[in-house]
Amino acid sequence: MNWDALRLSLQVTAVATLLIVLAGLPLALLLARRRFRGQTLLETLISLPLVLPPTVVGYYLLLFLGRNGPVARWLDVQLLFTWGAAALASAIVGLPLLVLAARAAFAGVDRSLENAARTLGSSEIEVLWRVTLPLARRGILAGLVLAAARALGEFGATLMVAGNIPGRTQTLPLALYDAVQNREYGQANTMVLAMTALAFLSLWAARRFERGGAARPAEAGSGRSE
Amino acid sequence: MADQSSLSGPASARLIVGLEKRLPGLDLRVHLTVDSEILVLFGPSGAGKTTTLNLIAGLATPDAGSIMLDGQTLVHKNRPGATVDLPARRRRIGYVFQHYALFPHLTALDNVAYPLPAGRLGRRKPEAARQAHALLDRMHMAHLAQRYPHELSGGQQQRVAIARALAAAPRVLLLDEPFSALDSAVRERLQIDLAALQAEQSLIIVYVTHRLEDAFAIGHRLAILSDGRVQQVGRIDEVFRQPANSRVAQVMGLRNLFEARVQAAAPEHLLLDWNGLRLEAPAQAADVGATVAAYIRPEDVKFLYPDRPLMGAVQHNLAAGVVLGQQASASFHRWRVLLSNGCEIEVRAPDHAYASLPLQAGQSVQVSLRKDAVVVLRPGLGAAL
Repeated sequence: MNWDALRLSLQVTAVATLLIVLAGLPLALLLARRRFRGQTLLETLISLPLVLPPTVVGYYLLLFLGRNGPVARWLDVQLLFTWGAAALASAIVGLPLLVLAARAAFAGVDRSLENAARTLGSSEIEVLWRVTLPLARRGILAGLVLAAARALGEFGATLMVAGNIPGRTQTLPLALYDAVQNREYGQANTMVLAMTALAFLSLWAARRFERGGAARPAEAGSGRSE
Repeated sequence: MADQSSLSGPASARLIVGLEKRLPGLDLRVHLTVDSEILVLFGPSGAGKTTTLNLIAGLATPDAGSIMLDGQTLVHKNRPGATVDLPARRRRIGYVFQHYALFPHLTALDNVAYPLPAGRLGRRKPEAARQAHALLDRMHMAHLAQRYPHELSGGQQQRVAIARALAAAPRVLLLDEPFSALDSAVRERLQIDLAALQAEQSLIIVYVTHRLEDAFAIGHRLAILSDGRVQQVGRIDEVFRQPANSRVAQVMGLRNLFEARVQAAAPEHLLLDWNGLRLEAPAQAADVGATVAAYIRPEDVKFLYPDRPLMGAVQHNLAAGVVLGQQASASFHRWRVLLSNGCEIEVRAPDHAYASLPLQAGQSVQVSLRKDAVVVLRPGLGAAL
């Protein structure tokens, strides 16, 4: 087992998931609740990584993060060929999965419940925290698990922007590719098993979150307790 | 406005509403004064009832107008003076929604505790739990405190919703068709409890309904909302007996509306000419020669027995006619009668009445339109009959 690659994979996935939540939830809320000019354009742009070849997404990121790109020039940050670039690439390909699921979940929250909360003295932040998010929770978690799984399995875009540097940017999918190239099938088998198990577990968890309601429809989600 | 009078003392709370809001298909202009009482806001669907409640609660913003509560300005917009628009959460106006709007992820107790101050990390304080329990108990729901909304019946959910609204210590309680989805026995009990609650806490209650029975069951005063305007406000029996205009009569579902010319206005009665039929109505001010709208409720039109002497109330307003048809429902019969003046009238009676009279279609009959029951309406706001 390539433990460096596993550790890097988990690290990249964790940061990517965090980025997905931070960017994805506000976007999903915006798309579910507001009608504005350019909405369709924004939706299309967010979903684009779902259908583009990952290498194309990686190439765009290469331009964006490269020496003449805005990040290097204005922020003076060199992300290319670091694990940070891998996390960013993973976040971008995983983002649409969260946004689509969370958007549907937000849209499914009854507006009169939010209005009731307002008449009961809640500010907009409180309405979000105590009513909207708890009620949309299942859909959000299901989308998040899928997005994280997609980030974990990211290969093409990561290879383009982070390279394949063992111990620094080589995640599990890349390590697997190397192992096969070098005919180290024992290594490859372990990694394949590990990744299959992770993928299986996340899909299973996502289904559980989606259906969770059927068995226990009103599980407390407000952070309050007896 | 027919009636702005107050039922309670000058020191009590008062809600004064004067709002304008344009919506597609509705031009709403509402003026209302509500004291510590249950004001029933009655009107057909699409009249603007719910919009009015949303404007008062702060869930919608008016184009212009103001709302005052106990001398405090909640909204003041496009009127002389500084603009005010207090958000819903600062208005202390409770709102009970038609479909209860209980939080499905919280127990009944947690729903009621929702507006109560929470401790760190949103943990419920013991004090809040006690208070929520007391409120549930007040609504006879303490035994179901740990149930989730989907485990409660409609009536129980609405009880929790009322307790939750009260937990926020509202000065005004708005109810939007609150009991319309409930069966009549449950509705009746809830109405009794709501009336007791109002008296106990001197609440200002605005109760929206499209059912006239609800208005009678619960309201102190009745406001008729139709076509975006408050057509009439007054004590319920007053509004019912004396609709301000033909639009009100129509909205209230009154039958036998007709137009008549005023022939004479004597001190003892008003003489009307309804398409050739001479009718006496109770004495009231009217211009001789003017055309007025009038109605008589179907219960107040009586068939006469040819073999019995005319006595009492049926001596006046006699007319000959022909029965056009008969309809029976659970508790009463309804007949359509073509009068000799060429106009149709509806007659209604309990199903045991007129058992010995042949009243099938084609039968010639004599009817009496009870003089006291002929109601002459004040002209409507541009509404034609």
